[in-house]
Amino acid sequence: MYRRNLLSRRDFLRISGAAGALAVSGLPMFNRIVARSKAQTERTIKVLTVGDPWDLALQNVVDQFTELTGIGVEIESLGYVALQARLINSFLTQTADADVIAVDQMWISQYADNGWIRSLDDYIAADSDSAIDDFLPEVLHSLSTWRGKIWTLPVGAYAQGIMYRTDVFEAAGIDPLPASTAEAGDWTWERYFEILEQVNGMEMDGTTFFATTVIGAQPVPVVHMYTQLAASYGARWFTQFPNAPWDFTPTMNSPENLAALQDWKRLYDWSPPESINYLWFDAGTRFSQGDIAMFYHWTPYFYLVNNEGYLTGTPSPVVDKFRTAVLPTKTAGGDQVVSLGGWALGMPSTSANQDDAWQFLKWATGTEGQKAMGKVNVAGYQFADFSRLSLYQDEELREIYPFLDTQLEMMRLGNGKVVRPPAPIYTSLEGVYGLQLNQAMTGAVTPEVALETTQTLFSNILSGNQMIPYNIDSFDDTLENTQALIASLQA
Amino acid sequence: MRKRLPYLLIAPSVVVLLSLVLYPMGFALINSFYFWNLQTSPTPLFFSGWDNYRMVFQTTPFVEALTNTLLLSFVGTFVQFWLGMAIALLLNSHLRGMTVTRAILIMPTTVAPVVVGFLFRYLMEPQGGVLPWLLTGIGLTPPPQGLLGSASTALLSIGIADTWQWTPFFAIVLYAGLIAVPEELKDAARVDGASGLAMFWRITLPLLRPVAAFLVMIRFMQLFNSFDLVFVLTGGGPGTASRTLSFNLYREGLVNYNIGLTAAMTWLVVIIVTIIINLYIFFIFRKREW
Repeated sequence: MYRRNLLSRRDFLRISGAAGALAVSGLPMFNRIVARSKAQTERTIKVLTVGDPWDLALQNVVDQFTELTGIGVEIESLGYVALQARLINSFLTQTADADVIAVDQMWISQYADNGWIRSLDDYIAADSDSAIDDFLPEVLHSLSTWRGKIWTLPVGAYAQGIMYRTDVFEAAGIDPLPASTAEAGDWTWERYFEILEQVNGMEMDGTTFFATTVIGAQPVPVVHMYTQLAASYGARWFTQFPNAPWDFTPTMNSPENLAALQDWKRLYDWSPPESINYLWFDAGTRFSQGDIAMFYHWTPYFYLVNNEGYLTGTPSPVVDKFRTAVLPTKTAGGDQVVSLGGWALGMPSTSANQDDAWQFLKWATGTEGQKAMGKVNVAGYQFADFSRLSLYQDEELREIYPFLDTQLEMMRLGNGKVVRPPAPIYTSLEGVYGLQLNQAMTGAVTPEVALETTQTLFSNILSGNQMIPYNIDSFDDTLENTQALIASLQA
Repeated sequence: MRKRLPYLLIAPSVVVLLSLVLYPMGFALINSFYFWNLQTSPTPLFFSGWDNYRMVFQTTPFVEALTNTLLLSFVGTFVQFWLGMAIALLLNSHLRGMTVTRAILIMPTTVAPVVVGFLFRYLMEPQGGVLPWLLTGIGLTPPPQGLLGSASTALLSIGIADTWQWTPFFAIVLYAGLIAVPEELKDAARVDGASGLAMFWRITLPLLRPVAAFLVMIRFMQLFNSFDLVFVLTGGGPGTASRTLSFNLYREGLVNYNIGLTAAMTWLVVIIVTIIINLYIFFIFRKREW
């Protein structure tokens, strides 16, 4: 049956007219509200970060910065790939998407060479508060410098180190591992493998132990873990880099790399079979679940494994049952190079609030901000990734994070430009390298074939991208030159 | 004016088509002949001829990805079609509870593939996952690396997750087609003594052909572009065991930012899909008007 409209045309016109009049009369008031709100947020910067433990800590303390400076901060946290895509999109379209951004060490060459981020040298030189000489030069060298300039400042620095179960070692009659290089003596990878062989399959309290776990997922995770072993064995990616003159002819099929890959396969044999698909946190979580005797990983896991899952806040069964140790060397007392990675904060060239951005960047990477982050206790303490020497000496932080001395020693032996060289097109190289390592783990190819294939693919990619021969000016990118740069900026 | 009117009326569609389809494809085609890698330069550096096409084969696992993609697309479409057909016939059998079943069936199709990926990651988890437990229960031992970690089962696992999600789609659409089959034809066949199987092959299936052909084509193309499930479940691994062409494109385009190489790979994929689809159309509709 036909139902009449409840609202007549005349009523509709009346109501519309009244609403219109109200809107017009209210417009000035609305404008005033907008203006006031604009004034309040006038000094607001936008920060794009990545979902890592340091990001969680930073978000918890960022209000302290606003209280201190009056500058509002909007933090947006993204996944790794999403962040990179978002940044590149904003750079290409010349849009000011953010004032401060998280920059992976591998992106620096690309961002700096393309002029997408600005060098921080002038800010550092003009602002003594930045205390640039407090940063560990190894960290600045690995994470923040490119072609003799500082482009970012480290906000979360990671080295690699060992975590092992003290109860398992005690039961097996194995001496504790060295927490310092001074005690390392004959602490070699050979000894590391001997211990793994001894504890593999051990039964304790109803748990059958895997000797270790690897991070096997391709391409990035496996490269992160494998390259530490390879670097310790003396394997290098290129004929000459980062020292000048740069020669990107690959050296992936070197005897050192082959020995490392053969031993990597042994590590996998002692690991849970499913670790072939493990991401970083899968390996950490597995250790924290309690059936892994010993493994090496990025140093944030020194505190993350106290949680039963990733950042859950639930104490894991291994709390108080594990210790940290320094990485072994290939030969007793031999050279060591530790993988040094992490995240740094940079400033896009397109940022319209560069002075405010610098204030934030300086605070978040400074002693005050970093200490506040280290003291955040949400679901446990979960930020010890310091890159400033003073923080490693801070008694309060040392009490919370008792492993800081070991971590500092690993940082001091770190060189991110050697272990995973941040050369242009690194991502493409890492992609094929990780794939071949994973193939070798599956047994689809032998280590020899995997490395020969990597060598060929590297050659093809590097030649195809005009990097062999390298016709652009090189830069002697040594730690000494970074130290000299720090000294000149501090002066 | 009357002669021009039809052209004027279709002009907006043509303009939209040109700008949304042909322009990006032309853009990709041009860039496929330039050296343009965002890791080294924000703009194309120089004309590089066929180098990008050569690099596709020399620096990426293109052949492995193509093989996996074809396997997944052909087997996946085949399995989902026949499973969907079986379910559609059941739905059409007027058994009790079919109305509710029909409503439930559509649910997996409405879930985002990424969510399906996470769901199956948990179901296939080697430590405590339901699927390994079920397999062990029926006497099949899952690989020690897990269903997603073994080269022999990774692609199959992706296929299983996809089949779970998309078989109901086949079932619902085929069921709609079955409803439209005239009962008189079946009655006549029955009078002539045709068996159930004969009626299915000679009456039902031919009448379903237009719907089925379209459905198969759409699903094949979707499977050919499989990305979400691969990304979430296996990341293309282990090794290249589950790497698909779309995942290859993602790696080169959104991880390595090699625009020239990605453009070349895109065109190779476009050519392959076009050939397959046109062959399909040719054979399916050769005696009919398309």
